[in-house]
Amino acid sequence: MRKYVDLHVIPRIEDEDSWRHTAQLLGIAGYSAVALTVPTGLMDDRLRSLRRSFADAGLEVFLRADFACSGRHDLLKLLRRFRRLFDIISVKCLNHAVALVAARDRRVDVIFFDLPQRNAWFDHSIANVCRAAFEFNLRPLIEDASLLSIAMRQVRIAEEHKVNIVMSSGCTSPAFVRAPAQLSAVGSMLGLDRHRVRETVSLIPWSILEKNVERMSNEHVEDGVRVRRKRSSND
Amino acid sequence: MTRRYLRVRIFSSEPVTGEQFLGTLTASLQRYFGEVGLSDVNPRMIRFDTQTSEAIVACQKGREDQLQAALALINHVGRVEVAPLTVRISGTIKGLRRRSR
Repeated sequence: MRKYVDLHVIPRIEDEDSWRHTAQLLGIAGYSAVALTVPTGLMDDRLRSLRRSFADAGLEVFLRADFACSGRHDLLKLLRRFRRLFDIISVKCLNHAVALVAARDRRVDVIFFDLPQRNAWFDHSIANVCRAAFEFNLRPLIEDASLLSIAMRQVRIAEEHKVNIVMSSGCTSPAFVRAPAQLSAVGSMLGLDRHRVRETVSLIPWSILEKNVERMSNEHVEDGVRVRRKRSSND
Repeated sequence: MTRRYLRVRIFSSEPVTGEQFLGTLTASLQRYFGEVGLSDVNPRMIRFDTQTSEAIVACQKGREDQLQAALALINHVGRVEVAPLTVRISGTIKGLRRRSR
């Protein structure tokens, strides 16, 4: 059975009712896993209750950090500091220079653009070097339908360069939760290939999560290199 | 004329009626796909349960993606904030009852 993942859920930490309801809806919508965007300095007890709420709704929980930097030095500093603490690292590209660095750096899993803010966008120069997955969030499209044309243009570029695309809800409240089939329907409306569109909410985000879980294990040395420990005679 | 049926759960802070919901859905389809798209999809409200806020909506076979996209982009019915979630799609109304979540 296909596992669906919402890679971008932004719970309002101060509003417990809101994130409990969001967790319930994500469970009803049929997701198997979610990546929660949390502040880098969130207290442990808050994090535990957040995780528990989403786990109670039958969801596998992963933590995600969104970096919004205006310069490459800030971004590289944050990547050095937080890469090993979060399951998913994403970069909100505020300008072209940061977008280029983020797209190239293999420590970055996902890049996304703030569609209403029009001083940076996904173009051919970024698509050409992009190792990270390119994420579309549904929330800005719900809030402002005029952004659809920009999104369609970006999808076309990403498809042309065979960049992995991830469709996420980007929900901050229960009102923005949508089912995986709805997300992929919006994806095909934006011009994604009909056969690949389901993968943008299942296989592609799931493979990112799996890769990072492996990377964070003790056995991992670097891509393709793992430590194989000998079994002791007691095992 | 072959049709597909979608079971939609509507989560909202205040109750909404079936007419309101269908009106918003039609407007959404018209907005994103135009008059021709709307007539291609040809949405019909088969049932609307106000107690559970659950609707069964029918559309032309092969147009369910457009209907789902239009549903996904709905955020308000009137002034009420809503989250319409597609729970199941089937070729028969009976099929929608199976494997209910």
